[in-house]
Amino acid sequence: MTDLGYLLEAILLLAVPFVPIAVGVLLRRKFSPAPAAEGAEAPAPTGAQKAGRLIGAILIGVGAASILFMLIVLLNFKGYI
Amino acid sequence: MKAPRFLISLLLLALAGGAAFAQEAVEWKHQDFRPEFALFTESEAYTRETWTALPPLEQTRLLGEARQPAGERLAAMTVYYETAMKPWNTQELNGYAAGVKDADIAAVKLWLGQTKAEAFKKKLSVSRAMIKKAAAEGLDAGDRAALQPYLTPEAIADLGSLRAAVSLQRQAAVKADPARNEIPKGAVNSTLQGVTGRLGGSVSGNLAKAFDGSTATGDVTPVQAAAGRHDIPAANTAVSGLTGRTGALANKSAGAASPQRIPATPAVKSSVPAPLPGTAAQKKSTAWTSDAYGITVQVAGRPEPLTFRKARDAEAAIRQLPDGSISRITLYGHGSPGMQTVGDDAYDPDSAAAMLKGKMARGGVVQFSGCNTASIGGASVNPAVGISMAARRLLYFSLPYFQDRMDGVPAAQAREQWEKTWNADLSRDTSLQMRGTVVCGYRTFGLVPGRLPGLTRLMGNQEATTPGYVAGKKVCYRDGREVPEP
Repeated sequence: MTDLGYLLEAILLLAVPFVPIAVGVLLRRKFSPAPAAEGAEAPAPTGAQKAGRLIGAILIGVGAASILFMLIVLLNFKGYI
Repeated sequence: MKAPRFLISLLLLALAGGAAFAQEAVEWKHQDFRPEFALFTESEAYTRETWTALPPLEQTRLLGEARQPAGERLAAMTVYYETAMKPWNTQELNGYAAGVKDADIAAVKLWLGQTKAEAFKKKLSVSRAMIKKAAAEGLDAGDRAALQPYLTPEAIADLGSLRAAVSLQRQAAVKADPARNEIPKGAVNSTLQGVTGRLGGSVSGNLAKAFDGSTATGDVTPVQAAAGRHDIPAANTAVSGLTGRTGALANKSAGAASPQRIPATPAVKSSVPAPLPGTAAQKKSTAWTSDAYGITVQVAGRPEPLTFRKARDAEAAIRQLPDGSISRITLYGHGSPGMQTVGDDAYDPDSAAAMLKGKMARGGVVQFSGCNTASIGGASVNPAVGISMAARRLLYFSLPYFQDRMDGVPAAQAREQWEKTWNADLSRDTSLQMRGTVVCGYRTFGLVPGRLPGLTRLMGNQEATTPGYVAGKKVCYRDGREVPEP
């Protein structure tokens, strides 16, 4: 049981950097601009859409940076850096 | 009225110009400052371009600062050269012939000039050629005459008898060679039936020890040519250990085939004196990845800090300092919960406190510049801190815990061991042992941009002794209590 608990903890910790990426992708999808009607020009995105997509992009960036950080830390731990 | 005013203006201009040019720029490698420029060149502190770009006042200041160290180094190089140019005895011949590198000759050229470097080079090349010739075909009268300015008469005599000694040793080896009494191959083959290639424990142990100094247990002990019963005459150079008695010794070997113990020849200091500590010549490295670590000691009342690459050097220097004299010390290296390395040496709270016992000034600061040299502390909204904490838990708890479990360690034991250590606080524990001193460390991994592979090479700081900028969450303690960073 102890092992299982620690294994779950390790998996969750490893998944931490992917959480902001997943949230960011969801946000960008949720706030994607409405599709343009046929032959008509695409409507301008609303303020909420712009903000939602920006926050999504930031979260994806944070997640990517976190993965990079963990890689650097791992390389440092292994003595490569 | 206009003419006098014009003249006065001209006069003022001339005076201003005169003042500006009174401090003339010093030309790069000016003859009057030869040692100083040699020091700048060797330490790679300046090039012609960077020197020319300096204002004359700064040039004068730098030349003044360099005068003493340059003088000391010039004196050391002069002593080295004069010693090296005296006629060599056999031992010196061995030492110089094997030990002098191109870089040593280049150093002689830089400090003492082309002529002396050429003379030294010629002496070396003649000596090396004659060693080869003496071993292969012996020396004739012309060779002995050519060697006269360079070697003592005894050394020339030794070199002359080298060929005879070599052939006698060869004869001795042939006599002792069991192949002379060869057993018929058929008999050998029948005897070898059923023999495996596996060596007995003691045999393989001895073999391993002979090859690389390792024992069967994996412990490595240095092989000492002059220790124990297995003394081998030093033979790393053609005339090693050769004395006037060589012929007699070789005869003895040939006759009785008894092992001869020739005293180990003391090493001859053949390479040039080391460049001054802390200069670029010593820091130079061309690695793509960083090998930066060191100890920087700021002593009260001294403008320049003392920097050390080796922890042992730093410890020796700290011992010499008066009590209460260190205002700040930075230990730079890799850290992990509860300890920090500086090169090959590691510090925990006990060893760090022991090294600095009584030496810190009142309110002095000990800075551990290594990852995770403090505990993770409380919650933080900073995502970088959070991710660092997650990484710390993974690397210093999850990973070793499961490694232990796979090795069969009971879960309770592994848990107790790693729960205790993964969040250890080197800084706090050290501060508890150093009353009144502020001890700082990092709650997170510390990212040093200057350590990044490639960038470190670009910046030329592969072997820096101080970290520069560190991206990480710092914390300081005094007597075990968190205090603001001083």
